[in-house]
Amino acid sequence: MGAILRYFKDIGLGLWNLFVGLSVTTKYFLTMKVNTQQYPEERLPLPARSRSMIKLIYDGEKDQFNCVACMMCAKACPNSCIKLEGVRMPDGKRRMTTFKLDFSTCIFCGYCVEACGFDALTFVSEEYENSVYKRGSLLQDEHAMKWARPAHLAPKPEEAAPVAAGASAGA
Amino acid sequence: MITGEQILKTVSGLLHQGLAAAGVSFLAPVVDRVAAAVAMFLGISVFVMFLVWMERKVSAHMQSRIGPNRVGIFGLLQTVADAIKLTIKEDIKPVKRDKVPYYIAPIIAFVATFMGMVVIPFDRGVSVQDLNIGILYVIAITGFTVIAILSAGWSSNNKFALLGGFRSAAQIVSYEVPLVLSVIPIIMVTGTLNLSAIVEYQAAHGYWFTNPLYAIPVLVSFLIFITSATAEANRAPFDIPEAESELIGGFHTEYSGVKFAMFFLGEYIAVIVSASVAVTVFLGGWLPPLPMLGFIPGFVWFMVKLVVVIYFVMAFRWTFPRLRVDQLMAFGWKVLIPIAILNLLLMGVVELFLAKGA
Amino acid sequence: MTDLLLSQIKAGGESQFGTDEYVVNLGPQHPATHGVLRLVVKLDGETVKETMPVLGYLHRSIEKICENRTYPQCITYTDRVDYVSAMSVNLAFALATERLMGLEAPPRAQWLRMVFVELQRIASHLLWMGAFAGDIGALTPFLYGLRERERILDLFEMTCGQRLTYNYIRIGGVMIDILPEFVPKCRAFLDYFETKVPEYEGLLTYNPIFLERTKGVGVITPEVGINSGVCGPSLRGSGVSCDVRKQQPYLFYDQVKFKECLATDGDCWSRYRVRMDEMRESVSIIRQCLDRLEPGPIETKLPPVLKAPPASEIYSRIESSRGEMGIYLVGDGTAKPYKAKFRCASFSNTFVLDQLTRGWKVADIMAVLGSLDMIVPEVDR
Repeated sequence: MGAILRYFKDIGLGLWNLFVGLSVTTKYFLTMKVNTQQYPEERLPLPARSRSMIKLIYDGEKDQFNCVACMMCAKACPNSCIKLEGVRMPDGKRRMTTFKLDFSTCIFCGYCVEACGFDALTFVSEEYENSVYKRGSLLQDEHAMKWARPAHLAPKPEEAAPVAAGASAGA
Repeated sequence: MITGEQILKTVSGLLHQGLAAAGVSFLAPVVDRVAAAVAMFLGISVFVMFLVWMERKVSAHMQSRIGPNRVGIFGLLQTVADAIKLTIKEDIKPVKRDKVPYYIAPIIAFVATFMGMVVIPFDRGVSVQDLNIGILYVIAITGFTVIAILSAGWSSNNKFALLGGFRSAAQIVSYEVPLVLSVIPIIMVTGTLNLSAIVEYQAAHGYWFTNPLYAIPVLVSFLIFITSATAEANRAPFDIPEAESELIGGFHTEYSGVKFAMFFLGEYIAVIVSASVAVTVFLGGWLPPLPMLGFIPGFVWFMVKLVVVIYFVMAFRWTFPRLRVDQLMAFGWKVLIPIAILNLLLMGVVELFLAKGA
Repeated sequence: MTDLLLSQIKAGGESQFGTDEYVVNLGPQHPATHGVLRLVVKLDGETVKETMPVLGYLHRSIEKICENRTYPQCITYTDRVDYVSAMSVNLAFALATERLMGLEAPPRAQWLRMVFVELQRIASHLLWMGAFAGDIGALTPFLYGLRERERILDLFEMTCGQRLTYNYIRIGGVMIDILPEFVPKCRAFLDYFETKVPEYEGLLTYNPIFLERTKGVGVITPEVGINSGVCGPSLRGSGVSCDVRKQQPYLFYDQVKFKECLATDGDCWSRYRVRMDEMRESVSIIRQCLDRLEPGPIETKLPPVLKAPPASEIYSRIESSRGEMGIYLVGDGTAKPYKAKFRCASFSNTFVLDQLTRGWKVADIMAVLGSLDMIVPEVDR
């Protein structure tokens, strides 16, 4: 007798729980609220710190890149993506001559940006559509990576870039 | 006030006039039947396309996402795009297949389910052929799908397809029993197998659920019928034979292109057939919910009720997990059939002792 | 037994045990194996006779690579060891290095680390829930889980810039301080999330079909679990108390109140319950951490070149989302580790799969595999 009662109780309980489950999905169906961003019509802006694309900062006033070819970014990179050369100018300062970053091996870890002490590298969060047709175009040189920082994005003194000490250890 | 009957009479009148003008009036009965069959075929095909879209939209909104919305307004032409894609797909055939069953199986799956729609009344007097054995005919025809599945599984020369075919056939055959048992209480009360007559009974005596005596047995019958119908159509939560996340792709693993499309559409038409029978037998077919809404034609109400029932069939798929094969069989034999038999007893008691003179 | 199985595969399935058994390959590409896991299954009709996992399809030689990278550069590789809960592996390696070199992160960094690791635990369990339900057949909880996970990933993106491979928890602290709007957004998310967990439970926990698929299936008794090396929520489902956060508290876990989620039966359903409860406990831990955040430095001062003491070694473990994640580091006085070994929970949980599925049906392999929360990149590294 107990088994028969348990049988019916199980069926009743099961039916009720199925109904509870149905009510959850039906509630979502009726509210019709979606969380979809309909790309490419809607392009929501990425957060400011997004590690999207690495760019070399070009100073418009001085008409030169900020990079002094100190090689700290090349040493910090885990995958050795960065190859750069520089020369010492007659006035004693170093300037970069060529800068190549291989984006096909870059993992966007951010160590190069953090290692740079001269505000030469940065992430530009708006540029995230970086698909190319030829793999060779992922090896970008300083002309492809040139980026002039708009005035409103100049770094404030208290929000300096994070310093990852130890990241620039010898490779 | 437009009714389906009037539309039918007008169209058939026009056809007969055309035939008389051509001097071949003796062909009138044949032309009637053929025209009705063609109309049903086209109508159901369009409805199936709508259903595929509806499933994708329903599942999408249940999951907080948008379904197809690019092809055509609200994505309504998505099914057309899918159909075109399936027809231009490469026809991959296993080399060692058994040719005759291999090609017949999708045809049977597609055609047999269509045959079930022949007896469904869409409005008063509007059905392709109003058979006196309506329900019996529908249930017998749904058994044809077993042949299709077994042929598909066997002829694919693939042990997994064969296993899937066996499982599916066992499932369909064992869920036919509660399907039939759940309809018998209604037949006991109405005394007829004729689907139009069942709807007329409901028109005369009011909906089942408004009658306190019949409400509970009919509710139980309805639930058992819907469950068995989803099992018959191999839909979740009973879709082990064709489950994507199991290692076996099911009986239609080796089919591609149009043949797969036929299986796929056959599954939807099976759902339509079962839901139509459920609407006709349990929910009043083409009757309006309230008499004052009778100015809206009957077939519109039929469609509305059909869409509501099919929505629930789809909601089952996207809400519930899948049953394992042995649990599926256990559920059918150990739960559905005893409950259906008890329900039959209950309805018998109600009909015999309590409903006298009602 | 496995040699016999291998020879059978080579011989094309000709078996001496009878003609009804055959060997089937749940190949590397499969919707239910959570990555590229290959299972060679010997079946007798529908019943499983033996399951042999074949690993290595996602081997990327991370441990070997780490031998040629400096300690901070290794952190970028730890993200990829378990990309579903990358913060935990970041933390494991950072803690191991700090213990090796005798460093300590400042308090604010410790609290922030706790917040992020617990958020990561919730995100990982949400993905697990979706995958588990999807294996069982309910396709909707996957979308719900991902919807919530997207909000957590938005919080991560706001802070460190990435959604999957964060490289956030560094040796000596964290990468960058949180933005001021992080705390209110995090609290808003936690409030929102607490209303969602009952929904998932309504969909799954007492669903009769789900119960039939998971109750009594894949029972790990405590003895079998401990002997087979099962750890984490999979072992807590059997009632064994094995949470590293309680036994060897790291960060400030001894200062927050949370309970260790245990269940008694040891079947798939118990493991499911343990993880759902863990999500709730993580919410409470995060709230307590956010309450106790105080301004301060986020990283200790490190030497420009981080060198390990010569001839040093350490084994350091944390509780990641899947269980005990241990890092064994050997330092030799240089800036690069001599040996970095990742002891991953999924790898040691794999062994018990064979014992659990013998005699059950094929569909149960999926249920058991899902409930063990196996992440293949962690298995293969």
